[in-house]
Amino acid sequence: MASKVNITIDGRQIQAPEGMTVLEVAKKEGIFIPTLCYLDALEPEGTCRLCIVEVSGSIRHSIRVSCIQEVREGLIVETNTERIQRNRRVLMELLLARTPYSKELLDLAKKIGVVTSRFHAEEFDDCVRCGRCVRVCRDQIGAHALCWVNRGYQRTVTTDFDRLSEYCIGCGSCVQVCPTGALKMEDRGNERIIYKWGQILARFKLEKCSKCGKPFAPRKYLEHMARKVYKPRGQELAEIVCPECARKVERRPFPAPEFPVGKTPFGF
Amino acid sequence: MLDIETIDSILAKFPQTKGNLIAILHEVQNHYRYLPEEELRYISKRTGVPITQIYSIVNFYNRFSLKPKGKHVICVCLGTACHVKGAEKVINEVKMKLNIDVGETTDDMKFTLEEVRCIGACSLAPAVVVDEKTYGKVTPKEMSSILAKYNKE
Ligand code: SF4
Ligand code: SF4
Ligand code: FES
Ligand code: FES
Repeated sequence: MASKVNITIDGRQIQAPEGMTVLEVAKKEGIFIPTLCYLDALEPEGTCRLCIVEVSGSIRHSIRVSCIQEVREGLIVETNTERIQRNRRVLMELLLARTPYSKELLDLAKKIGVVTSRFHAEEFDDCVRCGRCVRVCRDQIGAHALCWVNRGYQRTVTTDFDRLSEYCIGCGSCVQVCPTGALKMEDRGNERIIYKWGQILARFKLEKCSKCGKPFAPRKYLEHMARKVYKPRGQELAEIVCPECARKVERRPFPAPEFPVGKTPFGF
Repeated sequence: MLDIETIDSILAKFPQTKGNLIAILHEVQNHYRYLPEEELRYISKRTGVPITQIYSIVNFYNRFSLKPKGKHVICVCLGTACHVKGAEKVINEVKMKLNIDVGETTDDMKFTLEEVRCIGACSLAPAVVVDEKTYGKVTPKEMSSILAKYNKE
């Protein structure tokens, strides 16, 4: 049993288990803090900075990043002061500069009172550098297909040596967690591609469903499922059956994806 | 061509990969004067460190290079002090003499030209570092004779 600490968030006295982050506690208490790079199922990385809060009490009065700030005895947190709102708005404007058309980001912007951005990037690639894709691929899928390169403004997500990835299994998790649609997945006929602005990251031939004949999944993905999902359950991936056929014909549920897609702030 | 022997002998010096990856990469870089892709992929297989992670690290540090470098690396300081003292003329001298731009290598693989912002030798401005050796108060003329010296080696 983790010991508890007493903290205050927006004037509310709360008992929270040691080791929890301020954001986690606030969420449990139903206190809204905007987040972008944070995702329940992933290790927080604190990159977007939208979740900033003002802290005082047992820490020097300052602005901290709530998704990586652990609670401690006597901590006083203010989640929505004037100063925080002002800072958040600037951060959001900066994010919007390079991602002006993402509906999700615009919705979140509206929530914190930003309509347009004063800043303009020369080129937009829709990527907010939240790192969710890199983290999901590395920590949840274990494929290690994506990585960061370059620094500062040039920082970007790519594959090893910017080549078509040999390690990507074509699961689409990175696409699913990307908050802005900067990463995309497309099935065309019997081919699947995973791509971002100006770069195809991986390309696959799709295997056909043995029941309906529709191409539906890359071989590497099926092998991954067999190894990581079926085998631990003592099952084998005997036939290749697409999710629809598995449901209809066999009344057997297709195994749930092993990545527990949490609720993102955008509700998917 | 993948040179397994060299890499194996470097790896043998580091029984533990954890915490030593940068040191390993340094040795490989020193040996080849850059980090060849095939060798990096082999290191990844041998150590179990994902190649994406290695690629990210190599990309992060300026010291590492994915492109072959020349036998001698000429690094001209363009920091504030050196700039004021005429580093621009010195670097232009190199560009003209070797017919390469910053970040490029001569066709004969002898020289690579790089620039840096202050190497902490401002009192010697303008400063130039060739390989490990620092030259101070360099004039374009001196630069030209430094080049000639290394060219003979
Ligand atoms: S689709 Fe490829 S890059 Fe994306 S999470 Fe899956 S394995 Fe990683
Ligand atoms: S591609 Fe999407 S998930 Fe990946 S860093 Fe950019 S915005 Fe985040
Ligand atoms: S949600 Fe905390 S920094 Fe992005
Ligand atoms: S500016 Fe060149 S050494 Fe400091």
